[in-house]
Amino acid sequence: MGLVQKIFYFHVPCAWLLMLSTLVCASGSVAYLFGGSERGDRVALSAAELGVVFGMCVLVSGPLWARAAWGVYWQWEARLTSSLLLWLMLLAYVLARRYGGSSARRLAAALALFAAIDIPLVYFSVRFFRSIHPSNTVVSTLGPGMRGAFWLSLLAFTALWSVLLAARLAVESAQTELMDLEIMLDQVEEKKV
Amino acid sequence: MKMVALAYGFIWLAVFSYVFLISRRLGKLNGEMDELRRRIDRLKP
Repeated sequence: MGLVQKIFYFHVPCAWLLMLSTLVCASGSVAYLFGGSERGDRVALSAAELGVVFGMCVLVSGPLWARAAWGVYWQWEARLTSSLLLWLMLLAYVLARRYGGSSARRLAAALALFAAIDIPLVYFSVRFFRSIHPSNTVVSTLGPGMRGAFWLSLLAFTALWSVLLAARLAVESAQTELMDLEIMLDQVEEKKV
Repeated sequence: MKMVALAYGFIWLAVFSYVFLISRRLGKLNGEMDELRRRIDRLKP
């Protein structure tokens, strides 16, 4: 495949992070929906944002690789379509949270559960449907040098994702705490007046 | 080469843009924190 194969080292880790983000978002949403966990809700929002970022990377790097490998940027086949759907669901989650107000939190959490159902579809789509996308076992066919670079890249991307998630979660937690403090201060000021 | 550069470039751009967005939110949060401190100071006898 030549030089274009190098896209693989970024494309696959981004795809993995899209699925991991969705899984973490859905787990946080379950904790919020069924346990009322505010922290779960914050984790879900932070993970969904990261899912949108890394999903965008998958959906851009994939077609660039496909243009060189297949001669076309896009094919409406199972892996590509289900990945696009997954990304759109996460995007809908983030938009609902950003513009829907506090009433959209439960709706967004339900949407996250729906998105999680798409993960097995994305992963197994190349096995169950006729697909031109490389199979899930392509990593085991890599040469020894390429395999090491791939796992290192996957590890580095996962570490980057973890740091970004922690940073985003810290911002979200601080924002919630600040809002609570502002409400308390408003009450104290009212009493003083 | 063009495709690889485009793919790598886009991914780094996306990641750095997100880091920039987080840092901007943090900056805004610090501003709100300062405002809160000022309000608390005003309440002090």
